Amino acid sequence: MKSPITFKVAKDGIVLSLDPEANFKRIKDALRDHVESATNFYAGADLYINIAESSFKIDQLNEIVNIARGYKDVKNIIFTSDVINRETTDTLEISNEGETYLINRTLRSGQKIKKAGNVVIIGDINPGAEVVAGGDIVVFGKIRGVVHAGAGGSDKASVTALKLDPTQLRISKKIARPPEENSKNKKLQPERAFIQEGNIMVEKFEI
Amino acid sequence: MAGKALVITSGKGGVGKTTTVANIGTALAMMDHRVCLIDADIGLRNLDVVMGLENRIVYDIVDVVEDNCRLEQALIRDKRHKNLFLLPAAQTRDKTAVQPEQMKTLVNELKEDMDYVIIDSPAGIEQGFKNAIAGADFALIVTTPEVSAVRDADRIIGLLEAEGIKDPEVIINRINPEMVSRGDMMSIEDIIEILAVKLKGIVPEDQIIVVSSNRGEPVVLKDNPKAGTAFKNIARRISGQEVNFISLEDKSFFTKLKKIFSFS
Repeated sequence: MKSPITFKVAKDGIVLSLDPEANFKRIKDALRDHVESATNFYAGADLYINIAESSFKIDQLNEIVNIARGYKDVKNIIFTSDVINRETTDTLEISNEGETYLINRTLRSGQKIKKAGNVVIIGDINPGAEVVAGGDIVVFGKIRGVVHAGAGGSDKASVTALKLDPTQLRISKKIARPPEENSKNKKLQPERAFIQEGNIMVEKFEI
Repeated sequence: MAGKALVITSGKGGVGKTTTVANIGTALAMMDHRVCLIDADIGLRNLDVVMGLENRIVYDIVDVVEDNCRLEQALIRDKRHKNLFLLPAAQTRDKTAVQPEQMKTLVNELKEDMDYVIIDSPAGIEQGFKNAIAGADFALIVTTPEVSAVRDADRIIGLLEAEGIKDPEVIINRINPEMVSRGDMMSIEDIIEILAVKLKGIVPEDQIIVVSSNRGEPVVLKDNPKAGTAFKNIARRISGQEVNFISLEDKSFFTKLKKIFSFS
C-alpha cells in the first residue's frame, strides 16, 4: 500500500505532502511512525505541511501539528498550499531538489557528513565514516563506510560510487548490508544503488 | 535476579581489552548465560569489528542516552549466539556524549535482563574511563608483561579503589613462556608482586588472535589450545567455577606458579 505521506527536500526545509485520498487515521499513524524513525534528522530545518488538495478540519490540522512537533528541533512548522509537482528523473542526473554539497576529500573513520540536500564526494568514504543525505549521494571514489541517502524518507534517492563496498547502505527507510564473504575484488566497478519494489537494488553503472 | 556488571579496563592502550571482552563475552554466552557487551570507547569503537557485527549497527549508545531510540533497538544480537548482545559505541561522537550517571542507568537497566554486562573501557583515565566504570560492580584489569603496562595497571587499580570498586582482579595477556624462562620478560610472579591483586587469568601470546580479530571471529569459537582455552577458563572463573591456570610450556615455570598461588 502506498504511504499516505510523502516528503520532498526543498531549499530551506522539508515539504510534507498528505495524500488527499487517504483517511485521516492512516495519515496520523504514518506521520507518527515517521516522527519516531526520523530522530533528529530535521534539526534546524523548516517543515512545510502541504495541504493543497486536502480538506482538513481545524482540529485535524491541530492534531497533525501536534504530531509533527515530535520532530526534534524542527525550526518552524508552516502550512502551504503550493501544489508540488512530482516529476522525477530516471537518469543519474542529480535532481534539482535542495542544495548539492561538494566534498573534496576522503572521509575517515569518525567523520560524519549530514546534509538535507544531495552530497557529492570526490574521495573515498572509509570504514567508520558516515554520510547522511536527504537526497542522492554520489562518490567519485570507494564507499566502505555507512551511507544513507533519502534520509528524510525519499524512496527516489540513490547512491552511486566508483566502488560500492559499504559497511551498510541505507536508502530512505531500507537498510542493506553486503554479503558476509569478504570481497577481495580491488577492481573499480561503478555501481548505483536505488529502491525498486521496496528493496535496495544495486546495478552496474556503465559509463 | 539481576545480573553482574563487569568492566574490563587497563589504563594503557593496546594490551588487549577489546579482544578480552569479545572472547570472555562469547565464552560466557557459549555457557548459556545471557550476556551484553557494551563498547564504552566512544569515538574509537572496535568491539563491533572484533565481533564481526560492524555492518549491523543502526543505533548506538549515544542514540540511547539521547533518546533517539529505545535500548532494545540499539542492541545487536550476535550472529552466532542468540543470548549474546552488543551495545555499540558511536563512532562520530566523543566521550563527553555520555555522562557517568547515564551510563549507570543504562547498565542497571541491562542488568535486569542479563546475567552478565561486560563493559569495554577505553584506554586512559579521563572521561571515557569514568563513564566505563560508572555502572560496574567489579573490574578486571588487563596488562601485558611490560613495565609500562604494569605501571598503568597499578594506577588504574588505585583509581578504581577510589571510585569504590573493590578488589579488582588482573588478567595477564600475551605472556611468552620462553621469554619468561630466559628471564627476558616479567614473570607472573613479578607482576602480581607489584600489583598485589588476585590473578584472574593468564593468556599466552598467540598469533591466532590477529587472524581472529581481522575476521571478526573471537578465538574461543574454535578449539584453540592456547589463547582460546585461556579465555574460556577466565569465563568459567567469572561464572564461579574453580579452574586451574593453564600450563605454560615450561614445567618448572608452572610449578613455580603453583607454589605462589596454592590452588585448592
